[in-house]
Amino acid sequence: MNFSRKKYPIFITFILFTTYLVFVDLVDGDWASLENSLENLSTFFHESLWPPNWKVIEAQSYPTCERNWDFLCSPAYIGITETLKIAFVATGLGFILSLPLATLASRNLYSDSIALPFRFLLAAMRTLPSIIWAIFFVILVGLGPVSGVLAMTFYTVGYLGKLQYETIEGLSNDPLDAAKAMGLKNSEMIQRVVIPETANNLISQLFFMFEYNVRHGSVIGIVGAGGIGYYISTYLKFLQYDKIIALLIILFFVVIAIDLISIKARSYFVDDATFKSPSLFGNIFRTKK
Amino acid sequence: MSAIHTTNLKIGYSSDSILAEINDLEIKQGEIVSIIGESGIGKTTFLKNIAHLVNPISGTLKVFDTEKAPDRGVIGYIPQKLGLIKHETVYSNVLEGAICNESIFRSISGFHEEKVVDKVKETIELMNLSDKIDEPIKRLSGGQQRRVAVARTIAQGSKLILADEFLSELDDKTVENVWKAMLDYVESDNITLVIVEHNIERAKLAKRCFKFEENKERNCSILSEVVA
Repeated sequence: MNFSRKKYPIFITFILFTTYLVFVDLVDGDWASLENSLENLSTFFHESLWPPNWKVIEAQSYPTCERNWDFLCSPAYIGITETLKIAFVATGLGFILSLPLATLASRNLYSDSIALPFRFLLAAMRTLPSIIWAIFFVILVGLGPVSGVLAMTFYTVGYLGKLQYETIEGLSNDPLDAAKAMGLKNSEMIQRVVIPETANNLISQLFFMFEYNVRHGSVIGIVGAGGIGYYISTYLKFLQYDKIIALLIILFFVVIAIDLISIKARSYFVDDATFKSPSLFGNIFRTKK
Repeated sequence: MSAIHTTNLKIGYSSDSILAEINDLEIKQGEIVSIIGESGIGKTTFLKNIAHLVNPISGTLKVFDTEKAPDRGVIGYIPQKLGLIKHETVYSNVLEGAICNESIFRSISGFHEEKVVDKVKETIELMNLSDKIDEPIKRLSGGQQRRVAVARTIAQGSKLILADEFLSELDDKTVENVWKAMLDYVESDNITLVIVEHNIERAKLAKRCFKFEENKERNCSILSEVVA
């Protein structure tokens, strides 16, 4: 659909108006519930959340830990490192499994009779959020990081697979046509044309997925699938919100750090040579060249 | 032996709207022909039909006396934008053509036959690209990229080359160089070459020339031979 610039205001007004109508429908006349919301938030923030309880970076009494530094025995360190490990393994496994499925789901490589069932499979894996997969695997293999890895892997395959087949379908037809005309088989085309031409995007998506999985590590842990979420869920049970906010602040900085490293790493795979090796803060405050 | 033979061929992307009709065309092995016509008249679609990338709507289209897809490596197709793998090196792109001469197992596993590797190097040298052998395609000039595309079809050992406006956007001197390289190979090995051209002067480089012209009565274009 093509929009002329003159139609933008009409389009934006339409979006705002329909959003308002749907919101009014959702509230269903119960506007009173919104009246004290800010006041409630302020009370909750000052009485329960702030200041953060930094005991989360001190060694915990149980289970016993014999590392030299207190911090290495703290819930924050143990939780975050476990989340990072779960995200790392799940992203790696998910990538390896999703790539063959994504190629089979690409309609520029395979006919609809092959591609559509694989699209359906990827969509099904993506439909369940990682937390539902986590509940499923906690029931199947029990509490702990293994169920976290399996849950994240399944979700990664569905999500990354979709990104991958869309990238493959976005390939220029010319190299594929030339290869088909030569009589190359699909497996050869994937190896010689598809992978090299999409490698930059695939690697970029891999970094994005790792970052995404680290963020979701806090969610799946809540149902017992390991990682920092396990501690968040424990503190929730005992209404220790000040410890939760401390953990979330730490997680926030870890995610920012991963984001910066990921952007830096992804910049090496961007086609435009001028993007190669930008300064660390250049990623955030990129100036026009 | 005819390289391409058509009888009452109708081409297009849907039977409701036929793009072009090619009634009776015969191109013999070793001939060099050009096809001209306005944009969107069916030139590229015809090449894609010959390359078995698009199926004809009706009629017969025989390539080397068969309607079936020809054997691996027989057709070399150079699309409008050359179809090179931009992130790969010159060597890798030329190798893509040369692997047609070995088994799929060798091609996938990377254990290429010595004669295949030698052919790649020899062709790159023939096209004066030896100093660029490890350069990615995206860093080459337009003329160099076209020479890589020609090298790929030579390494492939194709008997029929279909080239779609592969000389466009080049200056006269580069056209001369690329054309000479292609011609030397085609003439020495009795290869059939079909080029689609927008530019009439370039189309005259071929020995025979065909033109797609709009036919309002039949509501599609018709291919006929043009006498120079």
